[in-house]
Amino acid sequence: MARYLLRRLNLFLATSLVLFAVLFIVTSQFPVEQRFALTGIQSPSAEQIAQIEADYKLNSGKFNQFIAYLQQRLGGNLGISATSQRPVADELASVLPASFELAAVAGFLALAFGLPLGILASLSRHKVTQHTIMAITLTGYSIPVFWLGLTLSLWFGVQLGWLPISGRLNLLYEIEPVTGFILIDTLISSSPYSTSAFLDALLHIILPAVTLAVLPFTVVVRITRAAMISIMEQTYIKAAEARGLHTSRIVLRHALPNALIPVIKNLGLMLGTFASYAIVVEVIFSWPGVGAWLVSGIYQRDYTAIQGGVLAVALIIIFLSIMIEVLHTTMNPLSRKELYASN
Amino acid sequence: MLIKRLSGYATLTCLVILAAGCGPKKVPPGLVYCSEGNPESFNPQLVTSGTTVDATSQQIYSSLIDYDGKSAQIVPSLASRWQISDDELTYTFTLRDNVSFHQSSTFTPTRYFNADDVLFSFNRIIDPLHPFHLVSKTGYPFFQSIGFDKQINQIEKISDNEVAFHLNTPDASFLSNLASGFAVILSQEYAEVLAKREQKAQIDRLPIGTGPFQLNKYVKNEYIRYHRNEQYWRALPKSELLVFDITPKSTSRLAKLITGDCSVSALPKAGELEVVLAHDELEIDSQPGFNVAFWAFNTQKPPFDDMRVRRALAHAVDRENILRAVYQKTAVKATGLLPPMSWAYSENKPIINYDPQEARRLLKEAGITELTIDIWAMPVARIYNPNALKAAELIQADLANIDVEVNIISYDWSVFNQKLSQRDYDSVLIGWTADNSDPDNFFTPILSCASVTSSSNRSRWCHPDLDLILAQARATTDREERKNFYQAAEAIFASKLPMLPLAHATKLAFKHKGVNEMKLTPFGGISFTGTETSETTTTQEEALQ
Repeated sequence: MARYLLRRLNLFLATSLVLFAVLFIVTSQFPVEQRFALTGIQSPSAEQIAQIEADYKLNSGKFNQFIAYLQQRLGGNLGISATSQRPVADELASVLPASFELAAVAGFLALAFGLPLGILASLSRHKVTQHTIMAITLTGYSIPVFWLGLTLSLWFGVQLGWLPISGRLNLLYEIEPVTGFILIDTLISSSPYSTSAFLDALLHIILPAVTLAVLPFTVVVRITRAAMISIMEQTYIKAAEARGLHTSRIVLRHALPNALIPVIKNLGLMLGTFASYAIVVEVIFSWPGVGAWLVSGIYQRDYTAIQGGVLAVALIIIFLSIMIEVLHTTMNPLSRKELYASN
Repeated sequence: MLIKRLSGYATLTCLVILAAGCGPKKVPPGLVYCSEGNPESFNPQLVTSGTTVDATSQQIYSSLIDYDGKSAQIVPSLASRWQISDDELTYTFTLRDNVSFHQSSTFTPTRYFNADDVLFSFNRIIDPLHPFHLVSKTGYPFFQSIGFDKQINQIEKISDNEVAFHLNTPDASFLSNLASGFAVILSQEYAEVLAKREQKAQIDRLPIGTGPFQLNKYVKNEYIRYHRNEQYWRALPKSELLVFDITPKSTSRLAKLITGDCSVSALPKAGELEVVLAHDELEIDSQPGFNVAFWAFNTQKPPFDDMRVRRALAHAVDRENILRAVYQKTAVKATGLLPPMSWAYSENKPIINYDPQEARRLLKEAGITELTIDIWAMPVARIYNPNALKAAELIQADLANIDVEVNIISYDWSVFNQKLSQRDYDSVLIGWTADNSDPDNFFTPILSCASVTSSSNRSRWCHPDLDLILAQARATTDREERKNFYQAAEAIFASKLPMLPLAHATKLAFKHKGVNEMKLTPFGGISFTGTETSETTTTQEEALQ
């Protein structure tokens, strides 16, 4: 197992290195001065120029430059944002929690509704129920996320006026960011409006989270159903039935853990799509996360912000994919067996 | 039976959640304004953009004098009285007592506002050797464009509460310029503290002023939050909290207004009027605009240095169509630079007619066969042009008729402004909102030779004859005479056509009924104090006439 983990770590490092190399090459291709693209300092003074050249070894060969670039970036120096003059790392730290929060709530919704519905669809012998569920999930899977987001905000926000459609919180609430997760921050805040702020934050997250959850939800339902159907045919389930166990016990204890394995695998495969959907959702609902920040950085030609955003998002996706794969391996005895066989 | 009970529980739970979620929530009292973009700075002295003026001038700062839209007169503000010497060269201001500056986490004022602050605020602009002069990377575009440094000989401190401005030549627009949103008063004491800490640049980022609100927090692309200045020297504003919700997209602003996230929303697109009329809880505020939208040609770049090319392009554009599609009846067609509201306006014949045939002929005459031009279109809605991109598209279609190809170029607003000042554009769709009622404000800041260097002259057009007329117009205080001068200026403008004026738009804002704090002014920034600025004390406009 240790060997396996080491290999995954190796994979993570190698992929990240490729990512850094790509970013390094792209940065030198930006249509601005290289010093500006690297640091975001618009009109540097003579000392700053000397400092930048020393930091990034701009006067030596490309390879040395790359090493220096790696050192700077890994040391947490992402440059400063050209438009706000604040360090990109700080800006990232302030926008990332919002994205994690949205993704977490959306993921929770997808699993909380997707798994039961998938199981229901697999157990139901009723053709109409099965087809209805499958039709709904296929529709959900095919709806473009930007259209869904706009339609939901039109119905529930503009026409019915039930839910707010932009931002994380009514701006009149002054909540100091502690964790960056607004749902937590509002609860632990000492403001006299803490409870109403929490409810307001809850209302604000509903539409973006539902929009973002639709795609993983449909995938979860379909994969769970397929996995459950094949598992319920297995002999050990028949044996359990023969022992006279209650259906709910069979499903929850014996079938579901095995059905979860392909679900996890597919969630891992979907991360990239999920991230790009999240960017679209953040822009539609003005959710101040890393996606909206990255898009505005692109519009503002804020090259350091673009690099920082791409780096952060890509690293997170690489890391999470590998983590999910590790999780998949630990949960799945079969793949462990393959692992030993291959070693 | 069981199922029935269960579903009963379920309904109950749902109801509880709903009640908790949708029940009346406690919201802190305050006002949210949906603004259209990020301010470039927190000091309006350094910019010409209305977005920044909106976010600062009337909120954080006060000026020596104000302009009152209702009475069309200059009224006292930080200066309680002023006198003009008989030769019109010396303006003496008596300053208000007991006005305190904001107190922030990094600065606690130890004294009230006095003459030193006035000296600091203006010397910073006019004196190139002033320690804070070069702190501004963008210069002082408004003041440079009106030649403020040449206008003023010296600013003299007579006593702690008396300041005299000595001018080089009489200038009828001087008071109006001081009343504009750019001429704000900074704290000299704060500047000293910052200089000691070697953080001079903070003076424009963490502002300290005497205005009704104090900057609390600014998060780029998201919001600006202000707290009420409890020490404000006028009647306190009603709302303790003022938030600018930065929402660049016009439709998003409208949506936020409808869902109640904003109480007031700026710069609507004309097509959205009907939506607002359909909602009972919303209303529209409007003010005839003191502005002009134009299409400026970069006259220092061929082929736009050729007047025939400019005329040809202008002939090819169907301005009626732009008025219909972009403004939808919320604007009047421009016959020159001055809007009908200005006292120097007189009904001119149309500046140029729509005539593609003539356009083709002129292009041929200028020897131009294949022409591709860039039109820079503002990415944000401004009062004078709610949708520059659409206007650019219409122009693109019109110019295609005379075989001129158009590329439309647009960046995010702050980048757009930056790139514009690099002076490498072909033409730009932009405009001008007056800062004060003086007709001079429509010429000197945007067409004088001085404004070329400050890059607020979007046509980069310098015409000595025009400068001469403008100088003459400023030197006299007789209104009829001045009107004639400005009409002469309009004539020169019309014959040379460095830019094509499109329209004078009505200033609009959407708001929730019952929000009375907001006041739309024909000039300068938006105000949220909810009190009238007009104090019917000694107004001295008479002295000017």
